[in-house]
Amino acid sequence: MRWLAMFLAATLSLSAWALDLQQAKQQGLVGEQLNGLVGAVQGNAQVNAIVSDINRKRLDSYRDIARKTGTSLAVVQSRAGQLNIERTPAGQFVQRADGRWQRK
Amino acid sequence: MKRTAVVLAGLLLAACTPRVEVVVPDKPITVNLNVKVDHEIRVRVDRELEKLFEQEQELF
Repeated sequence: MRWLAMFLAATLSLSAWALDLQQAKQQGLVGEQLNGLVGAVQGNAQVNAIVSDINRKRLDSYRDIARKTGTSLAVVQSRAGQLNIERTPAGQFVQRADGRWQRK
Repeated sequence: MKRTAVVLAGLLLAACTPRVEVVVPDKPITVNLNVKVDHEIRVRVDRELEKLFEQEQELF
């Protein structure tokens, strides 16, 4: 019973994070960068917390992929950046080649 | 005078001897395979990333 409660809590907190990232993107607070990570378009403490949490987890996964495919983390990050920016729906922020934010 | 002319002519003719120089390159010839390798790695990385986007939807 306690395990079930913990499992539920974990699942719920996960979806809370997901909602936060999606919301942050939709509200134009967070954008997709060329380096495969998210960045704060308008930073505040809460946004920065989401950004650093998401990026830490993304980097772990990117390192795994680099190891698996026998390439460098830099290559994986630049491909991820490309794909993330392509997948971003219109109206949300993406990073341009000159480093500035642009609403897609 | 005449001798000078002969010497001069000799010199001029000597300057005209055909000379073909064959230079052996000191570096070995290399075939650049980087482009192909890059492409293959990119395809593999992209495939792994697509899987990640599916598995870790809350991160993207």
